[in-house]
Amino acid sequence: MGNMKTGNILLLTFTVIAACAWAFPLYWAIVTSIKPEADVVAGTIFLPETIDISSYVWALLETNIVRWYINSIGTSVLITVVVIMISMMCGYALSQIVFPGRRALFLIVLASFMVPSQALVVSQFILMHKFGMVDSWAGIILPQVIIPVVVIVYKQFFDSVPRELREAAKLDGCSEFQILFKLYLPLNWGITAALSIITFIMAWNNFLWPFLVITSEEMMTITVGITQVGDAFGVKYARDMAIAVMAAMPVAIAYLIFQRRVTQAIMLSSGIKG
Amino acid sequence: MSGVSLSNIKKAYGPINVIHDVNIKVEQGEFVVFVGPSGCGKSTLLRMIAGLEETTGGTIDIEGADVTHLEAAKRGVSMVFQSYALYPHLSVFDNMAFSMQIARRPKDEIKQKVDEAARILQLEDHLDRKPSQLSGGQRQRVAIGRAIVRQPKVFLFDEPLSNLDAELRVQMRMEIARLHNQIGATMIYVTHDQVEAMTLADKIVVLKSGSVQQIGSPLDLYDNPDNQFVAGFIGSPKMNFLKGIVNEPRVDGKITITLDDAPNTTFDITCGSATLNAGDAVTVGIRPENIGLEHDETVGPTVFLKPEFTEELGGVSYIHTQTKDGVRVTIERRSERNRVDQEDLQVTLPVRDLFVFDADGARLR
Repeated sequence: MGNMKTGNILLLTFTVIAACAWAFPLYWAIVTSIKPEADVVAGTIFLPETIDISSYVWALLETNIVRWYINSIGTSVLITVVVIMISMMCGYALSQIVFPGRRALFLIVLASFMVPSQALVVSQFILMHKFGMVDSWAGIILPQVIIPVVVIVYKQFFDSVPRELREAAKLDGCSEFQILFKLYLPLNWGITAALSIITFIMAWNNFLWPFLVITSEEMMTITVGITQVGDAFGVKYARDMAIAVMAAMPVAIAYLIFQRRVTQAIMLSSGIKG
Repeated sequence: MSGVSLSNIKKAYGPINVIHDVNIKVEQGEFVVFVGPSGCGKSTLLRMIAGLEETTGGTIDIEGADVTHLEAAKRGVSMVFQSYALYPHLSVFDNMAFSMQIARRPKDEIKQKVDEAARILQLEDHLDRKPSQLSGGQRQRVAIGRAIVRQPKVFLFDEPLSNLDAELRVQMRMEIARLHNQIGATMIYVTHDQVEAMTLADKIVVLKSGSVQQIGSPLDLYDNPDNQFVAGFIGSPKMNFLKGIVNEPRVDGKITITLDDAPNTTFDITCGSATLNAGDAVTVGIRPENIGLEHDETVGPTVFLKPEFTEELGGVSYIHTQTKDGVRVTIERRSERNRVDQEDLQVTLPVRDLFVFDADGARLR
């Protein structure tokens, strides 16, 4: 009994330390962003003596951040919609429709899961260039719409829908599309919501691909945009931090609202079926 | 016109044949029950009629039209599943209306048909509920309602009562029988429960290992089974089987048989055209209710049995006994309630109630 208590206290202490270590950079970024630039370079004070939001005002007025927001929201929403639609239909076909080569196709999807996206950027860039899509939304979106893990999660969930439901729907006269959209999708709203949110966050946070495919400042997403700030006049920490906080804000808000769903989706896509 | 007709139906999964040349004719408006032990192919056969399984050979006709290769929805059949298969996200109303909504029927027609089905099945008060808010019996009624609104040519039931408790099963059985009287549609019902088969069916099809064993009315099968399998499968408690041998071969179409447990008595039975030689093994069957507790050698052979225990159910009791070779024999008693003690019983097996089967299980008659 006594041992368990000591164990608990140790565990709690460790958790608190780990949480602090994890949260500190966030805290530092926010605090830095609301300090005057002079204070930032001056010292190591943890709390700001004066609160100064001029860095935020500067970011909003002097940079293209609004445009970058629009690009990020637009591309991320489109990526999410297309990923969900494609993966849902692919998962349904792999799970429910018997056709020659189904198993081979599933193995290919599984295999593509293991190829890191970084390994593909060169060939994707050449492809986008040939399509004339460099520096456009289509160029940002298209290479990002294939996420094998979403297909696999959908397949697993569709596998667990009782066979009789599908047969009853068939007898009721449903086509495959009707079975998918009137039966399988409503039965799996939870997982669809979870996968949508995590796909949106992944698309929003993606840096490497948009950084390569975008050449003009107007087409940048926010993750690429923040790298453009402040270079002309040397490093301005407060401004950098302000724009970084603004870039992360929508995702942080989305995460706070859909916290449970996001956790669920992460557990699902890493194979711990929750 | 026949409701459903199966001709030379075959089904194979790869090299394994599961249905062998099945021929069944179901008249329009008839209630036919497919019965057999699990794995006998009865559900497969039903699913082939529904169009949920491909047939490997043969043809399926529904009301005169060949539907063998038609898709399920176009065959004019409705199916009630063992697991109910209600759409969990839809209300009772929408579950029943689903097929008509898919077919884009007018709203008032849908409402009228669903209300009618709900009235027949006493579901009017539950139309707004989700399936998860209903009891097992109510869910099964919704599943039946969903079948009714489609006004099918044939209703298919796949072990619809297996998930219900005993009391509810009896009640739903009566409701299905009532429904059949009320709407008079052709119904095909699959069960492994021979009591359900006996109580519901106009005609029973007994299946074993993918082959039809016998087709007939419930009492036909009970009184006149074609083989040992049907004799043992139909009737509860089961028919008792005792070993015997042919004593003298056929004379005037009759053979003389001696039971292993009654070596001193012989009896004659008609054996048709069967050729049996002296010494051939046979199996003699007798139903539990036909065994006489009095010792009377003039009506048939008498056998010593050792009582093991008695189930006393009030109106009827079952005495479970063993022969000296350990073969179990059940005796049914009505009206007499005095206890049977543990001593040996000497019972009589009246010859007129005996069924004799050859070594392959075929009935001799």
